[in-house]
Amino acid sequence: MNGNIVEINFKLEKLLKRVEKPGRYIGGEVNSVSKDMDKVKTNFAFCFPDMYEIGMSYLGMQILYHVVNEEPDLYCQRAFAPAQDMETLMREENLPLVTLEKKVPLKNMDVIGFTLQYEMSFTTVLNMIDLAQIPIFAKDRGEDCPIIIAGGPCAYNPEPLTDFVDVFLIGDGEALLPEILRLYGELKAQGKTKDDFYKEACKIDGIYIPKFYEVIYNNDGTINKLCKLYSDTPDKVKRAILPEIESVDFPVNPIIPTIEAVHDRAVVETFRGCTRGCRFCQAGMIYRPVRERSKDRILNLAKCQLMNTGHDELSLLSLSTSDYSQFEDMIMELTDYSKSANVSLSLPSLRIDRFAFDVLNKIQEYKKSGLTYAPEAGTQRLRDVINKGVTEDDILNSVRQAIELGWNHIKLYFMIGLPTETYEDLDGIADIARKIKNISYEVNGNKGGRFRLTVSVSNFVPKADTPFQWVGQNTKETFAEKHNYLTQKLKIKGVTFNYHDNATSAYEAVFARGDRRTGKLLYEAFKLGCKLDGWSEYFKRDLWEKAFEISGIDRDFYTVRERGFDEVLPWDIIDSSVSKSFLKREAEKAYKAQITHDCRLGCVGCGINSRVKCEMAGIYSEKNNEQ
Amino acid sequence: MNNKENRYVIKFSKSGYAKYTSHLDMLRLFKRSFKKTGIALNYSQGFNPHPKMGFAQPLSLGYSSKCELIEFETIDNWETDEILSKMIPEMPEGIELLLCSKLSSNIKSLAADAEEAKYRIYIPVKSPLDKICALKEAYLNQDEILALKRQKKSKELKEVNIKSMIRKFDLMNVEKVVIIDTVLDCGSQSNCSPELVIASFLDFAKIDTPRYNIEVEREQLTFYNNLQF
Repeated sequence: MNGNIVEINFKLEKLLKRVEKPGRYIGGEVNSVSKDMDKVKTNFAFCFPDMYEIGMSYLGMQILYHVVNEEPDLYCQRAFAPAQDMETLMREENLPLVTLEKKVPLKNMDVIGFTLQYEMSFTTVLNMIDLAQIPIFAKDRGEDCPIIIAGGPCAYNPEPLTDFVDVFLIGDGEALLPEILRLYGELKAQGKTKDDFYKEACKIDGIYIPKFYEVIYNNDGTINKLCKLYSDTPDKVKRAILPEIESVDFPVNPIIPTIEAVHDRAVVETFRGCTRGCRFCQAGMIYRPVRERSKDRILNLAKCQLMNTGHDELSLLSLSTSDYSQFEDMIMELTDYSKSANVSLSLPSLRIDRFAFDVLNKIQEYKKSGLTYAPEAGTQRLRDVINKGVTEDDILNSVRQAIELGWNHIKLYFMIGLPTETYEDLDGIADIARKIKNISYEVNGNKGGRFRLTVSVSNFVPKADTPFQWVGQNTKETFAEKHNYLTQKLKIKGVTFNYHDNATSAYEAVFARGDRRTGKLLYEAFKLGCKLDGWSEYFKRDLWEKAFEISGIDRDFYTVRERGFDEVLPWDIIDSSVSKSFLKREAEKAYKAQITHDCRLGCVGCGINSRVKCEMAGIYSEKNNEQ
Repeated sequence: MNNKENRYVIKFSKSGYAKYTSHLDMLRLFKRSFKKTGIALNYSQGFNPHPKMGFAQPLSLGYSSKCELIEFETIDNWETDEILSKMIPEMPEGIELLLCSKLSSNIKSLAADAEEAKYRIYIPVKSPLDKICALKEAYLNQDEILALKRQKKSKELKEVNIKSMIRKFDLMNVEKVVIIDTVLDCGSQSNCSPELVIASFLDFAKIDTPRYNIEVEREQLTFYNNLQF
């Protein structure tokens, strides 16, 4: 193997002179980990199906890299997708995809793992396996090939990838990933086979081994049932849940990318989960219950990370920054610290209220960046349908304050194609935009003209494990009509209107709720050369259309078709621990435009507390306040 | 307050994969490392203050070097050994800090004072070159040594004569590698990139080795004020 590594390094050296941004492929960053591969029990490669700059900005990778490498018997290295220029040369020169740390081919690893952050990265997963010179199909991989595992939010509907991935990890990865790698190492040392490993692994909560199940379809193409092919495998795979995250290891020595990543900053996750219950939001369902880190731990992690890295920016990560229970105290302490340490603080997904303005004023003093609001829908009725607990008054009052305080660029995010949407709801989007423009004239008089408003709409993609998992997506024609309608309606001076590509949202929708048969589409798309589809310069619509043709996949069946509550869904094999009856109840309430309150005002019965203790239920209810 | 008392220079080498770290990324690396180690730099005045720190000469992406110099001004007075011991652990693989020395407050910046740079160029060839001394003489004795240079503003290629900018030029065969040792003008007054020497020599000697198989290493930088690092 040594001679092989020398040759690989020699080839790689030559290629790096011929590509853009060679720093993407060199590794050796501060805090990257070097271990002797022969002295560990399991060699693992964490693969991010996108380029280095994107992957290195992803906190989940830093967390998992850290927890795996903390264990002396495990070694986690990294691999990213090469850009096209590098890929072309790798294929020409027959250079396989290698790890950044040791430049060892992925095919020499014991286990390689992909994180599935968005559906449009699936072709890149296949392309990376192919670049690694590993057979794409799981069935073609023998004992000498690495085991391919995958996790992340898109693993909640793993079915489109079951032809290619051996093992899915569902849920929190901090404990599950090391556990599964340890198990592999132990069984390998005992001379056991891959099948021995799968048979042991499937007993662990969060582990889904697709080859232990067979899907039987009805004549109409829906699923009849899922048959178990191995008796000890569970009927449903329970998601792995950490009961709390306070005691869970969090990296304070993250790898510092030598070339600039998209986000080059210290990041602390403040809490996992969300109590708001927006009905379109997958993250709001699959990360339940809310588990917070203590304020002291967060401050300590932030300080350690900043001191250990020398970063000059700090960001907090969660699904809704201001929902942290001790938010104001935490922010006051963090802003003071950041100021003294000469670090800029960035607070994403902040609810913009009086306090937030004070904070923003303090941290942004003269450089006012843009403010972004996400009403998601144009009318109160539709916002009630999706359970987005924000009113027009909330938004307009907040915008007025922002304009008074000197912000002159505001962005609004909406979704179109939400269930029950009518043209009235689209008119509502234009109304809000117009009202905001008027506020800017009221506040600034003639100078109000300098104020810029950006309205962005994205196409609604129904996701697994949400109350909207049964609904039909709009057709691409309907989306186009709505875009045209909005383009006309939003011809307002000082308003910029952006919208997303319709084709991508349909492809995304196919995989978001696709069954095992959609793997064929994925394979055809990959074979035709689709990859890095999240990048507009790489996305090739014509190839995707051809892939649909060749694979014979009926797009409408997966996208626009409304499913019945009784239909067996492809992802029913996965138990997210939010009950299906809760999702149904929420769906029914949605159609009646009835809202469900935030669970902190009282438990709404999502079912998560049958698995783990939910600390949030009713903490803000009147009863609790009296106590 | 601008204190020019605490001027330092760090000499470092760049080898292995680190040679694919760009100039801007090197600046980011040092800026972040100074922040982490608590060695506070002086900042320029004005609307967009930036740390007083700069390389004596930028190094092209893909070149290795035995003599990279970064000059900086700190707020406090530090022992040079202390700076070095704090900064060494902050470097990625392939960046080795070799020494740190104080600079006197009354000299020009290194970037403004650079005079010449010494490079070693490795060109793999199919067979060793014949009559290498004669070849060297012939190359140097041309009336003009012409190379195509991309113009900064117009981005157009323009033929330039680099003869007067080549201060030294030696050739040798080491098995199947031709090694060029050359000293070139470097700095703000006159600057010659080794790329121009490589291109003109390959053309002259009719060698068809692709550029990506050629390695370049900077070995030395010298200054008008005779400072040596």
